[in-house]
Amino acid sequence: MDLLGLANYAVFMGILIGIYALLALGLNIQWGFTGLFNAGIAGFFAVGAYASAILTSLPASGRLGGYELPLVVGWLAAMAAAAAIAWPIGKICLRFRSDYLAIATIGIAEIIRLVIRTEGWLTGGVRGVTGVPRPFGDLDYMPSQIAYLAIVATLVLVAYLLVERQVKSPWGRMMRAIRDNELAAAAMGKQVEARRLQAFVFGSALMGLAGALFVHFNRSITPEAIDPMIATFLIWIMLILGGSGNNRGAILGAAVIWIIWSVSELLTDRLPTEIAVQAKYARVFIIGLTLQLVLRFRPEGILPERQAGSPPHR
Amino acid sequence: MKRRTIAGLVGAMLGAAVAAAPAHAQDVKIGLMAAISGPIAALAPPMAAASKLAVTHVNEQGGILKGGKLEAVLGDSACNPQNATDAATKAVNIDRVLAIVGPACSGAVLATANSVAIPAGVLMITPSGTSPEITKLKDKDLVYRTLPSDDYQGRALARTLKARGITKVAVAYLNNDYGKGLAESFKAEFEANGGTIAGYSGHEEGKASYRSELAALARGGADTLIIFDYGDGTGLSLLRQALENNFFKTFVGADGMKSEGLVKAIGAANLGGFFVSAPVGEASASLDNFNKAYKAAGENIDAVFATTSYDAAFLAALAIEKAGGDKAKLAESLRAVAMAPGEPIMAGEWAKAKKLIAEGKDIDYKGAGGDHEFDAAGDVPGSYAFFKVSGPGYESIADMK
Repeated sequence: MDLLGLANYAVFMGILIGIYALLALGLNIQWGFTGLFNAGIAGFFAVGAYASAILTSLPASGRLGGYELPLVVGWLAAMAAAAAIAWPIGKICLRFRSDYLAIATIGIAEIIRLVIRTEGWLTGGVRGVTGVPRPFGDLDYMPSQIAYLAIVATLVLVAYLLVERQVKSPWGRMMRAIRDNELAAAAMGKQVEARRLQAFVFGSALMGLAGALFVHFNRSITPEAIDPMIATFLIWIMLILGGSGNNRGAILGAAVIWIIWSVSELLTDRLPTEIAVQAKYARVFIIGLTLQLVLRFRPEGILPERQAGSPPHR
Repeated sequence: MKRRTIAGLVGAMLGAAVAAAPAHAQDVKIGLMAAISGPIAALAPPMAAASKLAVTHVNEQGGILKGGKLEAVLGDSACNPQNATDAATKAVNIDRVLAIVGPACSGAVLATANSVAIPAGVLMITPSGTSPEITKLKDKDLVYRTLPSDDYQGRALARTLKARGITKVAVAYLNNDYGKGLAESFKAEFEANGGTIAGYSGHEEGKASYRSELAALARGGADTLIIFDYGDGTGLSLLRQALENNFFKTFVGADGMKSEGLVKAIGAANLGGFFVSAPVGEASASLDNFNKAYKAAGENIDAVFATTSYDAAFLAALAIEKAGGDKAKLAESLRAVAMAPGEPIMAGEWAKAKKLIAEGKDIDYKGAGGDHEFDAAGDVPGSYAFFKVSGPGYESIADMK
């Protein structure tokens, strides 16, 4: 045990927390401010990841890609692609209310996953896309990780500031009005459907960006990364725990859940080897228990939503 | 909850983790990245048990380096890159492992190699990642595997058929990772060697009739049908219907088709034109050693990837011993202990290997799952044979190159 190793591990956690924070921010726009139950986060994450991977990776036979475009192009394209997929989906599905939308989005995420698995010419199929560049990837282990953390942290900060600004504007108040009472908002002359579509597309674009950051960090992407457990439900837990409707809560939730998830394994590792295999499931249990406790004792999350225009009421 | 409370909680957890991770100066650690949770959870416990058996053998027979103990740190790679990189980062930075055995799934192997093992300079040996993409990693010679790439069997089969004078075939594959992967590599190699693919189609599982698919494949005019499927499943229906309707004369399958249930169902007398390629257990003394020890440990010797998991851990230990614990020399040492020439070492013969290494002699580990003669990319060729049906089972008729 030495501090350097610990620091390295902390930097790695920071990168993943940043990526999950972007996903949680995207979900917060959809669920926290607009009340859209998107259970297909993994799908938009995957679209972003593959879009950026295909545009920036080295050429490979048997699949599309190898354009070796600059990273920024890949990242913008990831956001654009996720938004472009979200738009028709939103157009069709946003007429559904809450639970129906959840079912539709689960189905869509599954469709995206299956298309990725089977359309080898586009995505490399089950073998995935490799040879994706990583910015500052040529540096040594630690400097390279720190540089990547800086990029991720900057993007999270920018996303946070932009979303925060948007939510504090009249647009944010309107979204909350739509969420809390759709009929009243419509009666006030707000275009409910168009606004919900905006939120859906905007949130999905952020999820796409998270996907792009993930793929460049690992220099590869395969369909295994878009498992709903790790790319949809974990993010829901993060947002609910952190406090939906509060952007800082979303980021905090991402950090808390990932730290619990990751650090709890270090603790279970100290158990006797006979039960080490079983103990790995303890962390899944701990996450579930945390969620239960939060829902029971603090349903509004760690950092509850602050009402704009009035001082925090708690 | 106040922010300070949260920060306190997080700090306390990290602190607990630090306190809980004691350091042992002389002991050596390797990380086992088993896919304990996730889609292949059922395969993970026997794999982890096999790797641990290797660790036990090392410790029972004199330990590692100068009286140190080999310790296995078990991580959960969960068959996805998020958890695999997380587990590997912990193993490399907190537990300071010298080598990683795993992860189990190919996507997890790619991500872990790229973002942890290669940058950190840690040796990685996967016992079950079969994707051809792993071959292409720019890995500074750090990534190895103890089982052949999916690509290999399809290509070897294509060359074998060409050598046997078959130049025109139709290919029917089950539309999943296994069937499609084999079919693609077969097609590429067969065509590259001047063969003709007269029909090529994927089919879905569990249909009652495949006659229309078979008829379409037969229209290409080939007498030989290659079936990449499972002989206990769809492959059986496909073969039976092709025989009944006399669509093809010769049938060739890969390892999935080598099923005794299939011979029983169709009858050996009707299968004169049916051949399969399948991996062959080699270095049988080594495999026997392993099977005996593994059974004594209370495990089932038919478990998938058990032999390769054992070999991966044993090879990692041999490499560490050879390198004298020097991380920078691990890759070079692994090649030295795994590849010919040298005194052959069987599974479980740690004491003998340790003695020879101490004397400065070259050794060549003959594993339970294969010889492990690594090529430049760290892949093993695997050994396959071509089988025909004989009595209730199969008989090998030729080795495949």
